[in-house]
Amino acid sequence: MWIEIAHFATIVALLLTLLQTSAPVVGVNMQRPVWIRVGRQASFMAAGLLTLAIMGVVISFLNHDFSVKYVAEHASRSLPMFYLTTALWGGHEGSLLFWAWLMALFTAIAVGWHWSTHARSIPWVLSILGAVTSGFLILVLFLSSPFERLTDPPFDGQDLNPLLQDPGMVFHPPFLYMGYVGFAIPFAFAVAALINGRITDEWILATRRWTLFSWAMLTTGIIFGAYWAYYELGWGGYWAWDPVENASFMPWLIATAFLHSVMVQERRRMFKIWNLFLIITTFALSLLGTFLVRSGVLSSVHAFASDPGRGVYILMFMAVVLLFSFGLLVFRADRLRTEVRLESPFSMEAAFLFNNLFLVIAGLTVLLGTLYPLAVETFGSSKVTVGAPYYNKVFIPIMLGILLLMGVGPLLVWRGVQMKSLLQSLTKPAMVGLAGAGLSLLVVVNHPYGAITVGLVLFVIHAHMTDVWHGIKKRMSNTGEGMTVALMGLFTRNKRRYGGFIVHFGILMMAMGFVGSGLFQEEKNLVLAQGDHVVIGRWKLVFEKIIDVEGKNWKAQEAVIQVEGPAGAFTLHPQKRVYQDHQMPTTEAAIFSGIREDLYVVLGDAVTETTWAFRIYRNPLVSWIWNGSGIMALGILFALLQGRRLSRKIAEKGTVELERGT
Amino acid sequence: MQANRRLFLILTLLIVCGALGALIWTSFTGSLVYFHTPTEIKEAGADKTGQKVRIGGMVQEGSLVKEAGTLKIRFMVTDGKNQVPVRYEGMTPDLFREGQGVVVEGPWQPGQEFIASSILAKHSEDYIPVEMTPEGIARSKESMLRSLQ
Repeated sequence: MWIEIAHFATIVALLLTLLQTSAPVVGVNMQRPVWIRVGRQASFMAAGLLTLAIMGVVISFLNHDFSVKYVAEHASRSLPMFYLTTALWGGHEGSLLFWAWLMALFTAIAVGWHWSTHARSIPWVLSILGAVTSGFLILVLFLSSPFERLTDPPFDGQDLNPLLQDPGMVFHPPFLYMGYVGFAIPFAFAVAALINGRITDEWILATRRWTLFSWAMLTTGIIFGAYWAYYELGWGGYWAWDPVENASFMPWLIATAFLHSVMVQERRRMFKIWNLFLIITTFALSLLGTFLVRSGVLSSVHAFASDPGRGVYILMFMAVVLLFSFGLLVFRADRLRTEVRLESPFSMEAAFLFNNLFLVIAGLTVLLGTLYPLAVETFGSSKVTVGAPYYNKVFIPIMLGILLLMGVGPLLVWRGVQMKSLLQSLTKPAMVGLAGAGLSLLVVVNHPYGAITVGLVLFVIHAHMTDVWHGIKKRMSNTGEGMTVALMGLFTRNKRRYGGFIVHFGILMMAMGFVGSGLFQEEKNLVLAQGDHVVIGRWKLVFEKIIDVEGKNWKAQEAVIQVEGPAGAFTLHPQKRVYQDHQMPTTEAAIFSGIREDLYVVLGDAVTETTWAFRIYRNPLVSWIWNGSGIMALGILFALLQGRRLSRKIAEKGTVELERGT
Repeated sequence: MQANRRLFLILTLLIVCGALGALIWTSFTGSLVYFHTPTEIKEAGADKTGQKVRIGGMVQEGSLVKEAGTLKIRFMVTDGKNQVPVRYEGMTPDLFREGQGVVVEGPWQPGQEFIASSILAKHSEDYIPVEMTPEGIARSKESMLRSLQ
């Protein structure tokens, strides 16, 4: 019953989104605002109906309605309720519906929010977002339906893949999707600006919070994925440069470039075409990410070909989005010419230019590595993989370059500084960085990249701290405030700038984590009998015994390992789990997480009657990655708090320049 | 002065782009690993000597030999027509077992045992528990072989 309600709601929602696409266009062309309001009402109703559809599918899961094919394929009676609910996005049919729902919801919020403030853009925004949502709904209804019934319902379902029965995996897709879908709003405003020809900075100011929000969600989603890979997959790492991971990383890189380059447009009226290009690319890559992961094309091109209808539709959809938006950009390009030129290579804008260069090249690197194997497989006869070594070789230098720019950034000003004064302000941080690098090379870090990272991190910290310190001193002498008050005042006056600083600190921590765990991981593969001990790094591990344990829908063999280390003694319990309804065992790694390093133990198969295989990793600084991402999240939240004050000031300046005829 | 500065900026941009491009190109061509079935790699023979390759197929039933008390294993990877003997030392993935699909990676030396540096047993997000009937097993084997090619 519920699935039919959901199905019907989705059909009506599709019709409404088609109305939402066409009505505002009619309204603008015939000068009849009532049609634009029709479009708005349609978007609100579509959001409501898709919410109903989502509820219908979730209720079918909770009712164990295995006559619904999607439920039968992704749940079972033994699945706990939490995972029953989240199994909604356990397969591609449900995730596409979820995507469309988020899209409709965000559209409704954006339309409600910007209705009176951006009246000129809203009709086109409605139309563009309606078109994208309807595109997804057609896919959901005709090619990848979660509403199908089985004529011969099984008694029990096939269960959710045990690897997905993990909190990390539960939150990974929705956050990613919120990021992907969120970028649709700035994308729509950008395209709306291109269509109505009023290509000022309005679209950037209107969507600044959307961009930050989406970027925050995407970042969080990626981190959840990495965390899941680290805790659940049991291979000692968190990022494998798997195409599925790359699919979410590409839009992140381009969106990061966008976040930086919009500042140049706000302050210096430059990079107008470039910013439009970046936001369109970000959204296109978000679509690509969704489709790559959710179409089965990555596991095998043949899997894709086995359902040619879906493949062709997705390719066509992508082609329409890309041709339409880039075509529009080319068509309007001459209106976007700017008279402002880059004046100095030692200016903030030049630093942002290089920042963008590095990030876009990083994006291209990932795109090449992800799509090349697909191209070879589609057009040739052979199959090829691009391994992690490629990405590692390219990414470490790119990351170091970005860190260098991050440190130089605060030392520069808009329009440029004199080389002499730049050199003067560079001296101190550079000395600190060099000293740190040299010292680390002497003491612990025996790898050039490691030492360079330490040096650059110190360089960036010093540059940022100096900037903050100058700000505080100025405030103190101007207002006579105390130091703490001045610091608070400084930060809250420009939350976006200092939120960015906090994000940078998070990135620095993560960079240390990446380099520490990437270059200095220690791995041991061995066979242990009960009572055996092994020493790795500063840890001594004693394998005590194997016991049987049981959970709600799984049974496991669990090793009991006594560990003695600098942090005292504790016990680790790595498991080999077998889930009910599945024959495949899954490993549950046991992890002790410390500031300096993680101890990561994986239980393997029994080798003889009394001995078991173990894999033990010492992963330095991994916890810095998770903590760094937490700091990043704080920084983004802080930046999101930025009220209208600053933006209005800039917006006014923008309109003034507009009237002057720029 | 102004023109000089611009030239300097453009030159720096070009140099950075060129350096990164070269870095990407050399790393890329150096880390491509081609995938072959046992039949393909046997046909390629000496052409691929010393190259890092991936060989995919099924672990032949009855071919898996474990050296007692160690993590050393030997098995045959088969595509139904040809077999490649493989040697590996280390913990095997959860999904690794006889009759299942496997991808081994390592340097190819024709006429010798293939020494795998790593073993992959594909983690698929939507694998379906096999019905334990002869047809069910045959079907799943077939689909697995297909997906590995």
